[in-house]
Order: sequence, then C-alpha cells, then structure tokens
Amino acid sequence: MNPLDDQLNRLFRAARHAPSPEIAPPFGLETRVLAAWREASARPGTFWDGALLIRGLILAGVITMACWLPALNSTTKESGPFADVVQLTDSTLPSSDESP
Amino acid sequence: MKEPDLPMTDAEVTECLARARQGDEKAVLEIFHYMYPHVTKLVQANLPARESAEDLIQQVCVKVTTHLHQFSGKVPLLHWVSRIAVNTCLNQIRHEKRRPEVRLADLSEDEAAVVENLATSSAELSASDQVASRELVNKLLDTLKPKDRLLLRLMYLEGRNLEEIAQLTGWSKALIKVRAFRARAQLRTRYSLLMKEKS
Repeated sequence: MNPLDDQLNRLFRAARHAPSPEIAPPFGLETRVLAAWREASARPGTFWDGALLIRGLILAGVITMACWLPALNSTTKESGPFADVVQLTDSTLPSSDESP
Repeated sequence: MKEPDLPMTDAEVTECLARARQGDEKAVLEIFHYMYPHVTKLVQANLPARESAEDLIQQVCVKVTTHLHQFSGKVPLLHWVSRIAVNTCLNQIRHEKRRPEVRLADLSEDEAAVVENLATSSAELSASDQVASRELVNKLLDTLKPKDRLLLRLMYLEGRNLEEIAQLTGWSKALIKVRAFRARAQLRTRYSLLMKEKS
C-alpha cells in the first residue's frame, strides 16, 4: 500500500474514535419544534401536501391525453369519404407547371 | 418522560412514534431529544460554514417533526432523519465555491504533532491524538468539493457502507465508487502537499 494511503487510513481511524462533545439543544428549540408540530398536526393530510394531489394530477394528465389523442388524429390525418376524393383529385389534376 | 441522555431502543422509538401520532407532545419531545445529537453531528460534519450550522440544525429538526406523520416506519427513524439532514445540507452547500487550502502553518501544535507521528511511525495514533486527528481531518476535508467531503465523511468517519450511503444520498452505487475514488485521490494530494511542506 502507498505510504500516504496508510497514513491517511491511520489518521481516519484515529479521527473516527475522537470523543464527541456534549450536544444539548439550544434554549427555545424545544418550543419551536413543538409549535411547528402542533401546527402541522392541526392540518393532517391537507390537500396540498398529500400524495393524493400528485396522484390526482397524474390521473388528470392521463385523461387529458386520452381526450386529445382522437382530436389530434382527426385534425392531422384526413379521413372519411371526402379524404379519398381529395387525394384522387390531387393525383389526377396536372398542376399549371406541368402543362405543356 | 425518558431521560434525554439515555439511548432509546427500537421498540421505544416505535412506541414513541405511535404516541406522537395520537397527539402526545411528550412523545414528540422524546423523539426530538433522541434525534437531536444525531442531526447535530451530521450537519456540523457536512456544513463548511460552521456559523450557520445552528440554523440548519433547527431547520432539520422542525422539518422532521412537521413531517413525522409521513414516516412510514419501513426504515429505522434515524435513517429517515439522516436522509432529511443530508439532503438539507446538500441543498445548502450546492453553491459553495470557496475551499480553503491547508498549510502547515495553519495547523495547531497538536495537529502538527499528529502529522509528525504519522510520518515518523507506522503505529496507530494514540488516544490522546484523536481530537487533533479529527480537527486535522476536518481541515483536509474542507479543501474538497462539498459532495466529495460528504462522501468521505460518511465512509471513513461514520463508517457507512455503500448501501447506506446510496440510501442517504440517493446516488447510485457506481457513482459513489467513482466519486469516492476521485475524492480519495484528491485528499491524498492535499495530504502529500502538507507532507512535502513538512519535509
């Protein structure tokens, strides 16, 4: 092993076992946390932060797409009895450029 | 109420969560005291600007307690809390640009002694060197990019495995391996510069 890697490993091992200082929450944080929790639990399952909203949006998207697709097909592709007539006329009538 | 200093068992945490869901404020406070040291360690370890750590710790604690009803219980509570803390830190440090350099002159006497020990002996560092080692590691890690720093801390200081890091950060295992390799190489370079300066 590279001597530098060995030194780094020893350094990390020692650092990992360093004692942590005493950790106590600052004054007032308890109250703030409790107040936030009370506020959040007073509106459990609100419409805007539930997974229900996401599901609803996905469903609405699918329904919208399902409604649009037939409409898109009917506008982009000519269909029905008149479409055949138009295509036939297009293919048989010579354009003014081609006439002698 | 349970003494904050005593660690809670998994069963106690589950019981506490159940009481909190029923509206028991004491249970919420017990959970808060249980997670607070963990959140503090994570935030302090991952945030370069130490002066803003307190704000971020409070932010994480409030976020956790207000979303407690969304905790499914599929993973241990502290894993869920860690994920929230790590993501909050990542959002905070995303735009960080400044990364200080480490020079031998910047090290304290104890930290310089650790460097000396590492260079001259192949033995493990003694218990009295542990605090200085932690400080030295912090200084070296502060020279890396935030994400690299976070990864090396999770791997080498907290002893997390690949699976846990993937869960905490949301990164793929392949990305973690590549990033860890590069971060480690950069750290080695920084350390070698320190050694060159010493010699």
